[in-house]
Amino acid sequence: MVPTSHFLILGAILFAIGVCGVLTRKNGIVIFMSIELMINAVNLTFLTYARDLHSLHGQIFVFFIMAIAAAEAAVGLAIFIALFRHRETIDVDEANLMHW
Amino acid sequence: MLELIVFYVFAAMAVIFAVVVITHKNTVVSAISLVASLFSLAVMYVLLEAPFIAALQVIVYAGAIMVLFLFVIMLLNLQLQDEERTRPVQQFLGWFGSAAFGITLIYYIVKATVIQTLPHTPFMSDVRSLGIRLFEAYVFPFEMVSILLLSAIVGAIVLTQRGPMGEEPRGDR
Amino acid sequence: MPFDATDISLSVLKIAIVLGVLLSVTPIMVWVERRGSALIQDRVGPNRVGPFGLLQSFADALKFILKEDVIPAKAHKVLYTLAPMFGLLPAVTTFAVIPWGRAFIIPEMTLAGWTLFEGGRLFEPIVADVNVGILLIFALASLGVYGIVTAGWASNSKYSMFGAVRASAQMISYELALTLAAIVTLMSAGSLRLVDVVNSQAGYFVLFDMIKIPAWNMFPMFIGFVVFTVSGFAETNRLPFDLPEAEAELVAGYHTEYSSMKFAMFFMAEYMAMFTMAALITTLFLGGWDVPWYDEPPTFLGFALSVLAFATKVGFLLFVFVWVRWTLPRFKYDQLMRLGWKVFLPLAILNIIIVALLIAFQWI
Repeated sequence: MVPTSHFLILGAILFAIGVCGVLTRKNGIVIFMSIELMINAVNLTFLTYARDLHSLHGQIFVFFIMAIAAAEAAVGLAIFIALFRHRETIDVDEANLMHW
Repeated sequence: MLELIVFYVFAAMAVIFAVVVITHKNTVVSAISLVASLFSLAVMYVLLEAPFIAALQVIVYAGAIMVLFLFVIMLLNLQLQDEERTRPVQQFLGWFGSAAFGITLIYYIVKATVIQTLPHTPFMSDVRSLGIRLFEAYVFPFEMVSILLLSAIVGAIVLTQRGPMGEEPRGDR
Repeated sequence: MPFDATDISLSVLKIAIVLGVLLSVTPIMVWVERRGSALIQDRVGPNRVGPFGLLQSFADALKFILKEDVIPAKAHKVLYTLAPMFGLLPAVTTFAVIPWGRAFIIPEMTLAGWTLFEGGRLFEPIVADVNVGILLIFALASLGVYGIVTAGWASNSKYSMFGAVRASAQMISYELALTLAAIVTLMSAGSLRLVDVVNSQAGYFVLFDMIKIPAWNMFPMFIGFVVFTVSGFAETNRLPFDLPEAEAELVAGYHTEYSSMKFAMFFMAEYMAMFTMAALITTLFLGGWDVPWYDEPPTFLGFALSVLAFATKVGFLLFVFVWVRWTLPRFKYDQLMRLGWKVFLPLAILNIIIVALLIAFQWI
């Protein structure tokens, strides 16, 4: 069976890639997708420890995280659509109405 | 042995597709790479003896959330947004910072975990025990999540609806 | 449990059988569709190639292979080529968890000095018996949307895009009704495995102490059966729900710009999906491989009879698919969405409540 550290390292790599995507890109949808990648890396870590400690609580937590991520995706995309209707662009640098 | 091979193949796929997500300039290709990455992660979840969560990952994440992403990208024609490479300092700091963060994490994980040498009793969780746990100990969060989903649906509709004459959406008032 | 050479070779045999049947469904169904539609429309249908036009499918396959493969000018080449493969993926893989016969014990045989199957080996005619069985089908079926959406977008044409958006909206709406209608069968079987669902339909309902009807799920859960079957029509984009690919409406919908082998792959994927949907309806509601009024013994004879029963039920359902296609007119898009969300979803939930009450009072 695959050792626990392998899964944890994979989760760390995916999380770091997600962080890079959030900090580097200007396209709002790609930033959103990087956030989803980070959420999945966290899911992987939860399930790794659920198997390691023989506990079902990790899996139930992942279940709830998925439901909440679905809700977040729906509302986030609705916000992007509203932003796009105003500015004709998804570039997050253009969403600066509250800038001084 | 076979499990290790499957792990390496699908882990490589997940990482490669994740890199494509953050680097490709066409948003549709990024979205489809994310679907492939999430599917590889679902295979990982099966390796972690959680087949129910793996099926849920494909149904909910790869099958519903990403379809929503693709719809929004395609209907708003967002793949035509080109990115000028402004702010090079910020980009460099972004790459460097996330690489440093990732390397630090991996270092501490390797230092902290002990490679198991003890035989591991298999723990194939079945759906029945998951269901019992969900409806006995976690019934309150379960009901709360349903209300959360309802509020998300209503919120998404309110944010994007137009007035009766096709005028500006009401979400901006 | 340890795998040995016998297990591996039996698995390979099962995969070969299932793949062979799936790949040969398309030519047979093309012939059935064309002759069946001719019968319903009071004309002859293809009868030139071979007796009764039976070799028409080979002529069609040859035509597809020899046609020129045109890629539109501004299409995204990689995604355009990958889209038919996305479409084919759920069609080919979902049949893996459907049981197509009765499990029987292969007796110990000696051939030319080799002792095969020592102690009798149980042959389970299901390719992959995972314990989350039906969720695998829903998971892979929900990936089928990507084939359509990618094909429509990558073709860089407005007919394709409209067709793709409509088709995917239809598919995800009816997926919901499909899943909710299937839940009642899982509730009465108490498990997610399709083998358990079929085994729970093995008894009889006795009416008035005299009439024995086989305890198939369609009798107590009739609403669920109707909702599931009609949603199955919508999921596979068959008439009366084929607005996304209707010739008179959107040229050819999401596969407008596809020609030769890529179009043939979409075509094959549609017929294979139809076959898998018919097999799923049979397994969930019509008793699967159960021969009515007969207890099949776990021997090769029982296995053969059960496979025959399964094939008969699936064949009948496929004929119903063809029959409905050439009888009913097609739904308009808003009627289609209204039906999916405002009629089927409440009906499916009502069905769950009714069946839950029936199970609580132990009538099922």
